Amino acid sequence: MAKTGIKCFYGVLRMIFSQIFDMINSGIVILDRDLKVVKWNRWMENYSKIPANDVIGKSIIEFYPNLDNAKFKRNVKSVLAFGNFSFFSQKLHKYIFPFKALNTLGVKFDYMQQNCTMGPIRGENNSIEYIYIMVQDVTEVAAYEQKLIEMNIKDGLTGAYNRRYFETRIKEEFARHKRYSRPFSIIMQDIDYFKKVNDTYGHQAGDFILTSFSSSVAGRIRNVDILARYGGEEFCCLLPETNLKSAKLVAEHVRHLVEQSIYKFKNLELKITVSQGVAELNPEMSSHEIMLKRADDALYEAKKTGRNKVIGWEEKNQNT
Amino acid sequence: MSHETEPIVSDEEKEILQEIMNIAFGNATADLAEVIDIYVVLSVPNIEILGVGAIPNFIEKSVKVYSEIDVVEQKFWGDFNGSGLLVFPNNAGRELINVLDEGGDVDSFEAKPIDNLEKDILMEIGNILIGACVGKVAELLGTIVTYSPPQVISNDNNNEYSYFIDSFDPNQSAILMKTVFKFKDQDISGLLLLLTNQESIEWLKQALNAFMESYE
Repeated sequence: MAKTGIKCFYGVLRMIFSQIFDMINSGIVILDRDLKVVKWNRWMENYSKIPANDVIGKSIIEFYPNLDNAKFKRNVKSVLAFGNFSFFSQKLHKYIFPFKALNTLGVKFDYMQQNCTMGPIRGENNSIEYIYIMVQDVTEVAAYEQKLIEMNIKDGLTGAYNRRYFETRIKEEFARHKRYSRPFSIIMQDIDYFKKVNDTYGHQAGDFILTSFSSSVAGRIRNVDILARYGGEEFCCLLPETNLKSAKLVAEHVRHLVEQSIYKFKNLELKITVSQGVAELNPEMSSHEIMLKRADDALYEAKKTGRNKVIGWEEKNQNT
Repeated sequence: MSHETEPIVSDEEKEILQEIMNIAFGNATADLAEVIDIYVVLSVPNIEILGVGAIPNFIEKSVKVYSEIDVVEQKFWGDFNGSGLLVFPNNAGRELINVLDEGGDVDSFEAKPIDNLEKDILMEIGNILIGACVGKVAELLGTIVTYSPPQVISNDNNNEYSYFIDSFDPNQSAILMKTVFKFKDQDISGLLLLLTNQESIEWLKQALNAFMESYE
């Protein structure tokens, strides 16, 4: 009697656990010591599109050759040898099982972002006989994080980088270019008579001009360059690996492009011009502030001498 | 200095613990070499009982040789409860890439920036070393522990580091097991600290006595 009672009790337990195993909103895979799949829960079936019956008894590597790497194997060994737990965090690995991601919050991920944990399952005498892998879908969290990072470094209106990000980057670039003495230039840009646009056509038109200007410039510079909104109608470009001559050329292209463009806002056709000051890092500039000041001085000169032009700061200007 | 007038573990218990650590760390190094090809030398561990409040200072004093450090921290829990800390000199991540990546097997999950790669390497080494040592101690004491994900803390990131320091509850006492580890053939060494939470000290005392009895 007592024996059947216990049997019955274990039967119920098994039923409960196997239901939880399939109901839980996480992937659970159980592997034996040779990495053959022993269990594959419904969540895994659902996202992998591989039915448990197809995968059970076969090596996980056969289905996911991306796991055939030293790191994964090393972690498997440390689980088997020490009863260690291993962690594959989304921050570092993005995912270990390439499952299709649903787009979240407009952030596009190629694959579902996953936090995965691997650990030991013990048999009798505490010996480690199996490995479990738990898979959590963290795509949504990763999307929030990406949004937050973006909001933190970008200007909400124009989509250019914000001033704070610019300051961080110029410090970094400054240090790097000092160390390796590679050329490095910046362009300070100021939209001419911007206040007039605002006063005549209203702030909405002004905002439209800022946004349009920003996308014109962004389309003109390289991927490695950085365009930031420095303040009001003032923008700044960081051009790594670029000397004064090339930077002036870029600025001249921008000047020309902006001068030629007609910005259509509602039924208005707006035209603007831009003044620009260019500076290349040279040994005389002991800090990034001095470099910024030089570009700003050049910009001031461009403004003073008629606007819609590019002035480069050259050492000969120093005495004037 | 309450722990001096009323020691939380007796000298004898301390000795047993020392012995267990010796065996455990010896086994851990052997297995690390044999199973994972990580050749590390662990010095004879030394045991200290400290107020938790004194730990940040202790760490700072122990690693004075390096001005910049990375700490891999990993909590473990169960009967045996505490954290493992692995303290590396700041540039170790880069050099450790050689220890792990055999034959230029670049990460095949996805390309990532070098900072992340270094962090990843530190975490993995931390996870393996802490796990190996804690696992072996737990095994000898007849228990099983669960681990939380490791994290890397750099003291050149002020915020991170001060949060980490603040996370120690100064009212607790801890048993601190300290060993110096060195990667063979590689000029990288650092500190491995295992801290036992106050909550598990009672259990630890019982486990130590049980361990002794099994030999008597």
